[in-house]
Amino acid sequence: MPETVSQNGGYMVAAYIITAVILVVYTIVLARRTRNKHY
Amino acid sequence: MRDLVRHAWLIARKDLQLEFRSRTALASAVVFTALVLVIFEHGRDPTAVPTIDLAPSILWVTFSFAAMLALNRAFQAELENQALDGLLLAPISRTSLFWGKLGANLVFVALVQIVGILLFILFFNVPVWRIWVPLLLVSALATVGFIAVGTLFSAMVVRTRFAELMLPVLLLPFLLPPLIAAVAITVKLFAGRPLSESAGWLRLLAGYDLAFVSLTTLLFPATVTE
Amino acid sequence: MTLAQRGRWTTITALVLLAGIYVRALRFTPVELHQGPAQKIFYLHVPSAWSAMLSMGLVGLASILFLLLKDARYDRFAAASAEVGTVFCCVMLTTGPLWARPIWGTWWTWDARLTLTLMLFFLFIGYQVLRGAVTDPGLRPRYSAVVGICGLILLPFIHLSVYLFRTLHPMPIVLKPSAPSLPGSMLVTLLLSFGVFTLLYVGFVMQRYALGEGAGDA
Repeated sequence: MPETVSQNGGYMVAAYIITAVILVVYTIVLARRTRNKHY
Repeated sequence: MRDLVRHAWLIARKDLQLEFRSRTALASAVVFTALVLVIFEHGRDPTAVPTIDLAPSILWVTFSFAAMLALNRAFQAELENQALDGLLLAPISRTSLFWGKLGANLVFVALVQIVGILLFILFFNVPVWRIWVPLLLVSALATVGFIAVGTLFSAMVVRTRFAELMLPVLLLPFLLPPLIAAVAITVKLFAGRPLSESAGWLRLLAGYDLAFVSLTTLLFPATVTE
Repeated sequence: MTLAQRGRWTTITALVLLAGIYVRALRFTPVELHQGPAQKIFYLHVPSAWSAMLSMGLVGLASILFLLLKDARYDRFAAASAEVGTVFCCVMLTTGPLWARPIWGTWWTWDARLTLTLMLFFLFIGYQVLRGAVTDPGLRPRYSAVVGICGLILLPFIHLSVYLFRTLHPMPIVLKPSAPSLPGSMLVTLLLSFGVFTLLYVGFVMQRYALGEGAGDA
């Protein structure tokens, strides 16, 4: 992760994590709904 | 074309007559306006916050509420008595129907706005008569746009579940541009600036009205066609 | 391969590429001098804004096509695009304040960008709530299309009004987060991120479209 972290590096980390979480969660949600549809 | 206007007028007149006979919505609008004014008056420190700073916000809060109230009852009567189907069978065009509804809503909102302004003058010591013409113009311009959208949406929403909740939810984004513009211009007016300084905002309002009155007129038939 | 499967592969590919973007943005793109590391949120925030706008634009376009051509597939596409747009809006609405706070000192500001995001979010939500609330399946696509088209036309007005407001009420902003001229390496990262987010949009919509009406609502 970042080598030079000034005080605001935390925000960056938070933003990157939240974005990843949102996108991955939605991917999983879509996959599960697709699976449920066929059964 | 003449038929269009005549039919629209008939629809509008019917709506307004209904409203005057019940008078409930008008009464609630008046009460609410008075309530807002009282709250604002008592919620501020008169030495710290001059009324004139709050004036535009107060005005437009009450105006917005009046608009929502008008829209809520727009199709209520029709729905209750299945009258909407009857209206659709009548030999009038969809456009007349829409413009009639729009006209009635505008008149109703205008009435509540006038009452609001009068109460406002009564409770607050803000000189309105110097600016009443531009204020009138701004009110009209700002209101027409989102009432058009609101009339269109209320036609749809009245057939859905949670109708009263749906309308504000759907309408919120559409209120933003005209309200921002209206408040910005009103601030300038109360500050004694000439209307010409708000040219940009006025153009925005005019553009918005043009765009949405046309669009809603075009789209209305899609909401009632079978 | 079915549409859903192709959609899933597209999404997975996009996510893997996103990881690549993460590495590139965090490790191999220089830190901006005045804003510090938080500026790197830019590489996620702006492309997600693009995806959200794209979603709304296509909802509007599909709505117009539906009303003109009466083909249910356009309605189905619009529903998919609206849901995906909401997801990208969530990314915008979380990364936005996280970026604003260190740069501007405040979580929220009614500037053009953020206000537009919020209104876009409300539009997407309103659109989907409407779809859920209309019980008549014949009415649902038409009502949705009407709202979709109105929403599309609204966007430039929201942007204009908030922009006008901001230019007349300038905020004491010292830093301008989106610098018009980016040094090469940053620009490349940004462009790559745009590409990945667009691919994500495509993958998501493919899957959501494949779900169609059977997704519980529409």
